[in-house]
Amino acid sequence: MDDDLPTDFQVIVVGTGMVESIVAAACSRIGKNVLHLDSSDHYGGLWASYNFDGLQKFIKEVNSDPKRQLQVYNLSEKWYIEKDSPQEKQEDDENKTEDSKSEPSKKVWSQASFATEYRKFNIDMTPKLLFSRGPLVELLISSNIARYAEFRCVTRVLTWLNDKLMPVPCSRADVFATEAVSIVEKRMLMKMLTSIVGYNEEEMNNEFKDWNDKTFKEYLEHKGLTPNLIHYVLFAIAGGTNKMPCLEGVKECKKFLMSLGRYGNTPFLWPMYGSGELPQCFCRLCAVFGGVYCLNRPIDKVATKTVDEGKTVVTIDSKSKTLNCDHLVIGINECPKEMISPEPAESCDISKAVFITNGSIMKSEKEPLTLLRFPPLTDEDNTVTVLEVGPATGSCPKGLFVVYFITKKVKTAESDLKPYAERIFDMSGGDQLEASEKPKCLWSLFYNVRDTSAPVSGAADSVHVCCGPDAGLDFDRAVEQAEQIFKKICPGEEFLPRAPDPEEIVFEDEVPRGPEFRGDDADAEPQQ
Amino acid sequence: MQKSMPNLYDSELQLTEYCLKVNPKSYGSWHHRQWVLITRPDPDWKTELNLCNKYLKMDERNFHTWHYRSFVVSKCQPSLKDEFDFTTEKLLDNFSNYSAWHYRSKMLVELYPDVKGGRPIEDSHHKHELKMVQSAAFTDPDDTSAWFYQRWLLGAVKNNVDLAVISVTPSNTSLAFSQYVSKDFVNSKIEIIINDLPVSGEWLSCIGNQYDNLWIFKHNVLIEDGLDIKVQYEIENGQKQVLSCVPIKPFTYVGRNKVNFQKHYSVPVLNELKDQLESCRQLLAMEPDNKWTLLTTTVFLNCINAKLYHTEVIDNLKTLKSIDKLRAGYYEDLKTKWCIENQLYKDYENGELVFKVNFGEKISCLPHLQYYSHCEKVDLSNQNLTSKVLPSLIVLQNCKCLSLKNNKLTSLRGFPSLALEELDLQGNDLDINEVNRIREVFKGNIIF
Repeated sequence: MDDDLPTDFQVIVVGTGMVESIVAAACSRIGKNVLHLDSSDHYGGLWASYNFDGLQKFIKEVNSDPKRQLQVYNLSEKWYIEKDSPQEKQEDDENKTEDSKSEPSKKVWSQASFATEYRKFNIDMTPKLLFSRGPLVELLISSNIARYAEFRCVTRVLTWLNDKLMPVPCSRADVFATEAVSIVEKRMLMKMLTSIVGYNEEEMNNEFKDWNDKTFKEYLEHKGLTPNLIHYVLFAIAGGTNKMPCLEGVKECKKFLMSLGRYGNTPFLWPMYGSGELPQCFCRLCAVFGGVYCLNRPIDKVATKTVDEGKTVVTIDSKSKTLNCDHLVIGINECPKEMISPEPAESCDISKAVFITNGSIMKSEKEPLTLLRFPPLTDEDNTVTVLEVGPATGSCPKGLFVVYFITKKVKTAESDLKPYAERIFDMSGGDQLEASEKPKCLWSLFYNVRDTSAPVSGAADSVHVCCGPDAGLDFDRAVEQAEQIFKKICPGEEFLPRAPDPEEIVFEDEVPRGPEFRGDDADAEPQQ
Repeated sequence: MQKSMPNLYDSELQLTEYCLKVNPKSYGSWHHRQWVLITRPDPDWKTELNLCNKYLKMDERNFHTWHYRSFVVSKCQPSLKDEFDFTTEKLLDNFSNYSAWHYRSKMLVELYPDVKGGRPIEDSHHKHELKMVQSAAFTDPDDTSAWFYQRWLLGAVKNNVDLAVISVTPSNTSLAFSQYVSKDFVNSKIEIIINDLPVSGEWLSCIGNQYDNLWIFKHNVLIEDGLDIKVQYEIENGQKQVLSCVPIKPFTYVGRNKVNFQKHYSVPVLNELKDQLESCRQLLAMEPDNKWTLLTTTVFLNCINAKLYHTEVIDNLKTLKSIDKLRAGYYEDLKTKWCIENQLYKDYENGELVFKVNFGEKISCLPHLQYYSHCEKVDLSNQNLTSKVLPSLIVLQNCKCLSLKNNKLTSLRGFPSLALEELDLQGNDLDINEVNRIREVFKGNIIF
């Protein structure tokens, strides 16, 4: 098979992360000849989703390969349940599984039952949400790639206030329905939110002229908001901290608010089967337009050479074969150090955790899909973003929830995030059937990821380095970077124009036309 | 090959369902669907109701659907509670929904009437609704649907027809009521008693309508001095009340009732209103120029105690006039109405026989004018009245001397026929020819 692989391409993309995949799709879409490689056997790189088995393999791989620990480290996996479940119990459940929709019977989970249902898990390495009016949603629609993906609306936004979980009234309907704030506060909140939506750049300059060096919190206090409202706006809506600069807070709020009311009651969408689906959607479009795919294909060496007429060609050695291209697009984790220029500045790494629980962190009538923004518990901590997804998103079997924690690293993932997890989960490992306020944590994984999201550039003009996942909530930076890279490779070309649906494609040459109809009288005129 | 009728009906339903998918606001499609269902012998109303709910899920404000749904509901009669809860659900999705608020008001009085107290809505629910609508109103004050519902709630009090004033002269016996009443009403509930004998006669509407707030009683009793004239009228539950007339000059008797424009809320509802007033005041302190807050505060003040808060109410209306210029006329009329109400208390207490506007504000309309139907002298000079008020002067049945000096009259069209002895029209932008034409038919003295 190796021998069949052509050696010359206009664009070679190495790595199937989000940025790489978008660039690959964009190049292929406008007719570039694209080869897309990945060293592993699956798509997505650090942006991938794994089923439970795949995740176990990933953990093993990282633990055994010091090179991979440059990207992912401090892995700590823990079970809170027995290896095997009692035999009789299991049979009972099997009879019930399907028709127990209304009253989800609590099942006793064991490590063995996780293993049998491993395929029902889709666990994200880089869980992210889409803003309903954010650049990725707009791109998916305008490029018609949205047809390859399915989404679910995030049903609620929660925050941690006065030592308990509280729903955040973020939309008009929420503010109306909530009993947590007084009438006067409702008016203040709506007024604040409406005014933020109304600011354009120019007005911002006026309204916030004197606020450049002040914090968003000071601004909200100045506006007379009560402590509760400040909490909602600052931590839950803007996702900030006490130190968040005023203008940044306003911009974050505006982004949140502008995305309200498009799809659901919150501004967010979550991709079905996990965020790892999204790079694959772009890969699929790339392939539809002729891109060639090759997984399990590590590269050994990257070099540039100048051929006649001063043109630079990038050569890649892979499996004793040399591949040539005009442009190399390469994920930062796949890229040889010498090709990156300059060395990205040392940045704050990311602490992440995944939990599997037997219930939602806050009960709800229908299956919830939750974004929780934890304000920092201590002064040195940062905001912790929590995403809870349930079976309806295809992330786990019925009766379970997958909960992601993300924050900027202070010490290690475990010490950064465990105090937060303990607030909302029962991590005692006790009886799963026991009625308790908090859901039981059944399994957990803590890990740190090196932040490779800082902008970098290649050592040569024709080498384009794609950054890795950031700690942010959305995909906006990835989309932005992909577009920049595309513009460099194909200046003046349209970025992902709308791809036609299959029924819109007319094969003019292949379909023989029927004889033209000739009428004898005027009635035969084609009618409008 | 003829299809069976049920099949034909089904296919009509399918057709309209398809059409409504394309255009959910098609009058024709909804109407046709309704026709099919009332024509066929086996309509499935449950399915139809579900269809309506499905359409309302897609567009919760489509009034076509709401209207059609009410037709379906009348056929399949789901429980009132279900229907009430349905409006709650829709309003929680989006409270900017006139149809839902309206339907809710209909369900509310059916479901939770105050049987004991005879009020339209039971206290706890009245309170709950007030809270709910206040929440909506302050979440988005620019959405008017909630304000309308709030006004409706504030007006949902026991509403009794009251007798305002009776005046008896040799030529005219007239009765003014607090609101419009029908001929049946006056025939059955009002009895005029002179020297302890019921008088028989015929009731005539002052303006010749089915309903009126001033009724004229035609009878054959000669009105002279020293008569004992009473009106006996029936208030709620068949209870009778008597109003006696007093002679105010030879051959003229007037009987005045107590005036009352204050709405009567139950104590819990009144307390809720006071709470809400407090919230409004807080908001007002934060944003003194917010039209909706100010207007609501003003309405609350008037509802809670119009006499006590009169000055504040009038000041607020003046402010509103300046910050919401598009509705200046509305505020002006509201101001006039509340000022007149305030003056009426005093005039009736003092037994005033002359109507003269005696507050600092100029009036723009003539609300409650029937309360002054007994006055022989009416001085409306130096006001902002325009020609459109002229027809309403007809209730001044006993007026002899009317001054409209210095107003904004531009025509005399619609001027009613009154037995005036003097009419002052000076200081208006009137056409002299028109005044002269009136002079020809007018017996009294016209000053112009």
